[in-house]
Amino acid sequence: MPFINDILQHKSLSIVGLDKNTGKTVCLNYILHRINQMNIHAGVTSIGVDGEQTDSVFATAKPEITLYEGTHFITSEQHYLKRQLVSVLERVDSRRTALGPLVTAKVLVRGKVLLSGAATTGVLRSQIEQLDSMGVRITIVDGALSRLSLASPTVTDAMILATGAAVSASINTLVARTRFVYNLINLEEVDVSLRQRLNSIESGIWAVGDDGTLYDLGIASAFMISASDQRLVEHGKCLFAAGAVSDRLLKALAAKGSGITLIARDFTKLFVTPEVYTDFTHRGNRLLVLQRSRLLAITLNPTSPQGFVMDSARTCDALSEALQTPVYDVKRIENNWK
Amino acid sequence: MKIKELAKYDSGFQYVIDNIECMSSAGRRLMLDTTFENDAAQLESEWGRLQKAVSIVSSSPIDHAYNDLRHCFMQLHDLQGTLSSLYSHTVLNEVELFEVKNLAYLVGKSRIAIASLRIEEVLPLPDLTEISSVLDPDHTGVVNFYIYDSYDERLAPLRNELRTLQERQDNPQRIADLLALQQEVQQEVCRQLSDILSHHAESLTNALEQMAYGDFLFAKAELCKRWELVRPAVGDSTCYRQLFNPRLRKHNEEVGLRYQPVDINVTHGVSLITGANMAGKTVLLKSIGTAQMMAQCGMYVPAQEGTIILVDDVVYSIGDEQNEMNGLSSYASEIIKISNIVKRCRTEHLLVLIDEPARTTNPIEGKALVQALISLQEQVQSITLVTTHYGQLDSSCRRLRVRGFVEDLANIPINPHNINRFIDYSLEEDTSDDVPHEALRIAELLQCDTELITKAKQNINQ
Repeated sequence: MPFINDILQHKSLSIVGLDKNTGKTVCLNYILHRINQMNIHAGVTSIGVDGEQTDSVFATAKPEITLYEGTHFITSEQHYLKRQLVSVLERVDSRRTALGPLVTAKVLVRGKVLLSGAATTGVLRSQIEQLDSMGVRITIVDGALSRLSLASPTVTDAMILATGAAVSASINTLVARTRFVYNLINLEEVDVSLRQRLNSIESGIWAVGDDGTLYDLGIASAFMISASDQRLVEHGKCLFAAGAVSDRLLKALAAKGSGITLIARDFTKLFVTPEVYTDFTHRGNRLLVLQRSRLLAITLNPTSPQGFVMDSARTCDALSEALQTPVYDVKRIENNWK
Repeated sequence: MKIKELAKYDSGFQYVIDNIECMSSAGRRLMLDTTFENDAAQLESEWGRLQKAVSIVSSSPIDHAYNDLRHCFMQLHDLQGTLSSLYSHTVLNEVELFEVKNLAYLVGKSRIAIASLRIEEVLPLPDLTEISSVLDPDHTGVVNFYIYDSYDERLAPLRNELRTLQERQDNPQRIADLLALQQEVQQEVCRQLSDILSHHAESLTNALEQMAYGDFLFAKAELCKRWELVRPAVGDSTCYRQLFNPRLRKHNEEVGLRYQPVDINVTHGVSLITGANMAGKTVLLKSIGTAQMMAQCGMYVPAQEGTIILVDDVVYSIGDEQNEMNGLSSYASEIIKISNIVKRCRTEHLLVLIDEPARTTNPIEGKALVQALISLQEQVQSITLVTTHYGQLDSSCRRLRVRGFVEDLANIPINPHNINRFIDYSLEEDTSDDVPHEALRIAELLQCDTELITKAKQNINQ
């Protein structure tokens, strides 16, 4: 039973996809199935709208999420009313989404459901707490397209990254693109004392002086910075970006020379491209994070939405060798296990 | 006028409303729809209920029952949509039925808290036990809801078969059929339940509105406690001891400036308010307006004591709004506003607050207009407060003068930043027909250009 025991060491888990159709839902179904066999009650929710029966981009069939007896789940009213299982409503949220209020329910007879969830990480965090208070052992959050924020260590304790042929059908390109995100997820953390001091800063770009003094550089956003900005290094070469880190910021810093340390909150705040990031580090600069997300495993969906199928075993091997992390084709292990 | 309209009209009143922290959206809706009341008996009973609520929120230690009640308000959802479906005999879905059950449950819990607080008269809630039992056929006593097996005898066998097949992952076609059949039965049950509930639509609506009212009432009471507001009385003069402007007091606290509450007593007819620049005349008008709105919307007033004459409406002419957008000059929009006020006062009994009328036109005609305004307003029932810098208005109306600038009020050198500390904002009765001549002195203290001031002084002396 690969990675299930790792998962159960945590209170919450996010499943994020590197791209659409990378097999997040397959992965979620696999985990729920295994957890159910261990007689463990999980909580399940999502961020944004997901769980459509057909993929709205490629119109390909999409697996639904199967929930087992005793599972607590959160979804929108509209998706709840369309569920194909027997469940009891436990809570209706006063906040409304486009699909009605979010409801919490417990499964009485297993079956399938469409998941939709909070639009913001703040609401998501309170839902994880709510499910926790209802006694679930672990809450699993299914990510929506292009949403990484749920994998922030401030939201979920651990994460699984789904990748696959939808990202690229070439093994080399797939490895390179997955490795880039993997590297960002695994950026080194700052030491605890500095983390504690920077954690409460909510916005702006700050310099950390040699003696540890913090200076607000008066730059509201990393998206507004320019290379000619003299403020960037006026208090030394260690900087903290409380919000998003953009290509623009990395380029501006790279232009200032080498030896710069830039600290981001966590990898979900990084909106940078491989080229710019590589150029930044090759010039002798480094990027750190306050807190690293705990990546438990990478899953592979070898089938692209257009129907192309990669060699699953070869691709898994290439990925695990490059990333030094377990990589699973969930469908394959499930078939073997059956 | 409803609170939501008044709040748009008066930003000071908006500040008050923003500080009433209702726990539920239903409470907030009810608050914004509350109307400006001019019936003394209605207001007295509202203030009476508020007084009871204030005594509960102020008791120490806080009564557990009050915490329970607040907790119920916190969980209250605004079911207006669902309840209107009941009136129109639309079938409620499971989520809506859950919401109705939740309301009945909260009402049940609140009734216990209300009985324990002995405020059944303040907040009478209907008995919804019958609804609770319809929606809890197995007597579980919890708010959870689904279409229970006991609602229809077809459900239990159907679900048992479904469970077996799902566990075996067997016969997908049969599973699909069973799910469809279950859906059909559930729909039928929803229809029956909605039919039963539609007979209770009125008491459910009443319960929701009372819960919303309770939320609003206690939110007001919390504000009364926080800001130390007092219950006003209805009388034949509008009279405050230590009246304060909540927003300004808060602002001054934040920037470390002192705030001075004032005593004021006005009645029907015109009261002319004079005083130097910076003496707080405009703030005084706004404070009186806001306090009147608070009182007549069923709140307490920001003072140590307050008596009010009830009016039909509060109207301002305070020249701090932007008029460029409608193409009128500041004079034009002001005079149109004043003209409308004068017209309304012929039939209505208003609290009229006019700040420095006709100050943007030539002083000869301006003064004539002010004199005309005063003499017309002297003849009507409305209470009119007018601030002005015009002297010799040749009117017998009452005059109040803000004491204003007192150089030895604080024992420090005066500069533009601390000038506020040298102003005495209190009012005194003034019998002279003149106004303070302190404009140049204040310009000096604000360290304005010496040549400008010297020339102005020479002009006066010529």
